[in-house]
Amino acid sequence: MIPLAAVVAVRRGRSSSGFRFWIPVPLVLVWLLALPFLVLALPIFFIACLASRVNPFRALWILWQLLCALSTTRVSVEHRAASILVHIF
Amino acid sequence: MSDNRRQVLDMLAGGQISVEEADRLIAAIEEGPTPAAATGLAERPATAPRYLRVIVNAVDEDEGPIKVNVRAPLQLLRAGVRLASLIPPQAQDEVNTALRQHGVGFDLSQIKPENLDELIDHLGDLTVDVDGERNNMKVRVFCE
Repeated sequence: MIPLAAVVAVRRGRSSSGFRFWIPVPLVLVWLLALPFLVLALPIFFIACLASRVNPFRALWILWQLLCALSTTRVSVEHRAASILVHIF
Repeated sequence: MSDNRRQVLDMLAGGQISVEEADRLIAAIEEGPTPAAATGLAERPATAPRYLRVIVNAVDEDEGPIKVNVRAPLQLLRAGVRLASLIPPQAQDEVNTALRQHGVGFDLSQIKPENLDELIDHLGDLTVDVDGERNNMKVRVFCE
């Protein structure tokens, strides 16, 4: 299953009064919006794969697996001045 | 005489094990169970690791403490290494040539998906700890 949501949290300053962002990203909408462009790019992708002698179906399968595996990834960076957290669900 | 010791001596008498092996077994029996085994931890089935964790802690003189915490699913790593199989053959040749020029006798075409899976399966035993003097940096890489 591809990730359907993500959260990006940004905080400025270490204190609780600091500036905070909490941005939920509905990835499902991103995928839906990107779908027409992906369909348009598909023939180019196939031609590029065939030109470089790579099996396009295998390439698509691996990219799909890569996308699916992004779920539960969590990256956080904390600093005195700011911190950022990216969590993909 | 304990049952374990008698069993070892029986095996020695029966010619199933050598004297050295019997000696080692008896020594192990005398040492008794390890603390982990005594608490039952050894009997607990080991769960396969699911995440690769990278934790970096540093204290910069000017910027203060910096913390980086990454939790990446091992599945992502598994899918990532499969990308290597998409390298076009002509590019593989170039990479192999460059590797040979730098003294690395490694052939990319020899990497099979099974090898990569095996490699990732064994990452569970991996722990890397790096303590740097500069900025009091500590890097820890492990699987959980």
